[in-house]
Amino acid sequence: MIQFFQVSKRFPGGQTALDRVSFEIARGQFVFLTGPSGAGKTSLLRLIFREDVPSEGKILVNGRNVSSIPPSKIPYLRRTIGVVFQDFRLIARKTVFENVAYLPRILGVDLKSQKKLAYQALRRVGLAHRLNAFPPELSGGEQQRVAIARALINEPDILIADEPTGNLDPDLSWEILRLFLEVNLRGTTVLLATHDRDMIQRVGRRVITLEAGRLASDQELEGTDPPSIDPVPAELEREAESERTAAPAEEEKPADEEPG
Amino acid sequence: MSFLQALRYFFREALVNLVRGWKVSLLAVLTIAVSLAVGGAFLLVSRNLLASVERWRGEMRVVIYLQPETPAADVERLAGEAAGAPWIASVEAVSPEAARERFQASFPSLSDLVEGLGDEPLPASLEVSLKDPGRRPAELEAWIDGWRKRPEVSMVDDDREWLGQLETVVAIVRGVGLALAGGLLGAAIFTIASVIRLTAYLHHEEISVLRLVGATEFYIRGPFYAEGLLQGLIGGGVAGGLLFAAYTLLRLRAPGSLLTSILASRFLGGAELALIVLLGAAAGLIGAVVSLRRESL
Repeated sequence: MIQFFQVSKRFPGGQTALDRVSFEIARGQFVFLTGPSGAGKTSLLRLIFREDVPSEGKILVNGRNVSSIPPSKIPYLRRTIGVVFQDFRLIARKTVFENVAYLPRILGVDLKSQKKLAYQALRRVGLAHRLNAFPPELSGGEQQRVAIARALINEPDILIADEPTGNLDPDLSWEILRLFLEVNLRGTTVLLATHDRDMIQRVGRRVITLEAGRLASDQELEGTDPPSIDPVPAELEREAESERTAAPAEEEKPADEEPG
Repeated sequence: MSFLQALRYFFREALVNLVRGWKVSLLAVLTIAVSLAVGGAFLLVSRNLLASVERWRGEMRVVIYLQPETPAADVERLAGEAAGAPWIASVEAVSPEAARERFQASFPSLSDLVEGLGDEPLPASLEVSLKDPGRRPAELEAWIDGWRKRPEVSMVDDDREWLGQLETVVAIVRGVGLALAGGLLGAAIFTIASVIRLTAYLHHEEISVLRLVGATEFYIRGPFYAEGLLQGLIGGGVAGGLLFAAYTLLRLRAPGSLLTSILASRFLGGAELALIVLLGAAAGLIGAVVSLRRESL
């Protein structure tokens, strides 16, 4: 699903963000990306959704070399990747619905279907009742859940999160982490960057550690106190299936064919 | 998203942006309206001046003033001689008495000036109407020069000389108007570019989210192009309205004046008005394109 081959990233000033990093993440995996501040976590994530290009090496996402994608095709790559940031990146003057429904709107989905999709995405993060609220009216945890709903609305193959709990207190962080684990249970590949070692120790899973731009370790950890995530309930599965079938034709087309 | 859906989205977003940022939008619209109104005013003036020149040209004559005390018989003979040329439509011999009477009729308040003088103060003249006043064949020039050199003639007044000068003035008015309008239009493009850049800056967070979720550049930039286009169209429309208001005002305030008859006898045609509005739209679109070069978004 995500493959890095000897990837390096150097900035024009000569600073090295990544140095010959190689790893592979299989479909459906949940992976923590960790390391101290400045280790290169954000730089690595930005390369995956082609916010940046590597100085050397090759990155394959879903078998496609993202470095060689022409600029006009980058949007189609991004429609298959959900991205969540520490600072939420919600538009304060837009409602929760408008914030969540950006992608269906771009794809030309009609308003009724946009609302349905946004409702379903918000329901997954427990915020269906705040559809018409504005971000400043929400708590930090709620805002992050809205950002996650926005990332999930198109059922992306990959969900990338860059310090998604960095601005949240421990209880809210745990709540957000549970959401990511639930999303992963439904088959989405999750790559979550964090420097919260305690969280990683508790949850376990695969952990890729960067130090000074180099891959310091890549190991499977047994969690000391993993959260109990229920397997996907049958009801949720049915709902997910109905989402897929109820989505308008535009949604069902491969993202590459969308002109919007 | 289909092209039509995209256009609908672009113009809806552009209208929202125009309303939300109405102060800066108004600045852009007014700048473009003023520049186009100035250009349009010069167009209107030069168009009316040219129409006046054409009208005058149709009424144009060559007047041959004879030496004082030229005998009446000689006046008639010279009139007959002048009428023989092929480009002459008619020749009217005006005696000194008739000239004085005309003067007194035309300028009653000055009639005392020519009254009570012993001799007739005005010379006899030949008023020559031409068959095709618009043309100036070399033969006609030579014919007029020939009359100027004759001993019986004191002066030849050729209307075409000052009409030619007037045409030069019209050309200068048009040129100055075009240059001024061009300069002002450049300023308007700059203003629109600045307004669009400001709008884009105010939306930079949303633009980054749109990029993140997979919006194409076409989708991201479209609303800004539509905004520039709308500002230009509105500016062009306002310019047309301003021109019509000035034209109507001049005709209402001074309906029979020389100024009105020369400068405002006719308003701009539909094609010229459409050109002004289209120029506005083009300026708006250029402003948007200039402001949204890749590095500025």
